[in-house]
Amino acid sequence: MFPAYVENPLNCRFEGQDADEKILLLLRAHPITNLNWVIPAIVLLFTPFFIPAVFSFLNLNIASIPPSFGIVFLIINFLLIMTVTFEGFLHWYFNVYIVTDKNIVDCDFHSILFKNIDVAPLRNIEDTSSSMGGILNSLFHYGNVFIQTAGASRNIDFHSVPRPHHVADFILDEAHKLYGN
Amino acid sequence: MEINIFTSAAFLLLVKTAVLIILFFYVIFALMVIRQVDLMSKTIITTTSKILSAIAIIHAGFAIGLIVLAWGIL
Repeated sequence: MFPAYVENPLNCRFEGQDADEKILLLLRAHPITNLNWVIPAIVLLFTPFFIPAVFSFLNLNIASIPPSFGIVFLIINFLLIMTVTFEGFLHWYFNVYIVTDKNIVDCDFHSILFKNIDVAPLRNIEDTSSSMGGILNSLFHYGNVFIQTAGASRNIDFHSVPRPHHVADFILDEAHKLYGN
Repeated sequence: MEINIFTSAAFLLLVKTAVLIILFFYVIFALMVIRQVDLMSKTIITTTSKILSAIAIIHAGFAIGLIVLAWGIL
């Protein structure tokens, strides 16, 4: 439903896309990277079950707390879970890397209201490289792709994308097509 | 005589005030999330954008509802 590697995606556009510009590859970080927010959300989910144990450890009587306070704290806890889950999902879903037939686009949403979009024309691509290291990276086959661009323009990095070697090769192939070799 | 701070009126009033202040900031955060989803949806336009906007609005609604609930029952 929410893939991290999509070739020729349908029903997807991005801000600033030209009418004749076609998206060839849409990438997100590998879904396993979502463990960063899934684990805290699960811990928060089970937190209320440990509260009585904490109270008894501190020699406090939990029965003396008015029930209304307990209800409000439970709801706040579930709102926190909702926030962690929703923010985590948004961060994963909208931090995308796009390869079109003209450009490479890197959309980063670093915090709640800060976005950074890097666009590099394919004709400026000089070199690509990929790296994959670590247990999770090797198990789930994801890594980083580094794209070096010509001149003073910023280099573009794809972080934790699936099939990094294939992506690096794909980008270089598309750049070569522009030059006709 | 043992004193239980959880039944002290001053302590409960303090907790109620703290909860309401936290919830007030939470509502501001929830409203910012609506704006964030709006910005993100304009940057990457997909079919899921409307669902995510709806979730953000419902989330903010829950946050506002919780302030009213907390004000009423605490």
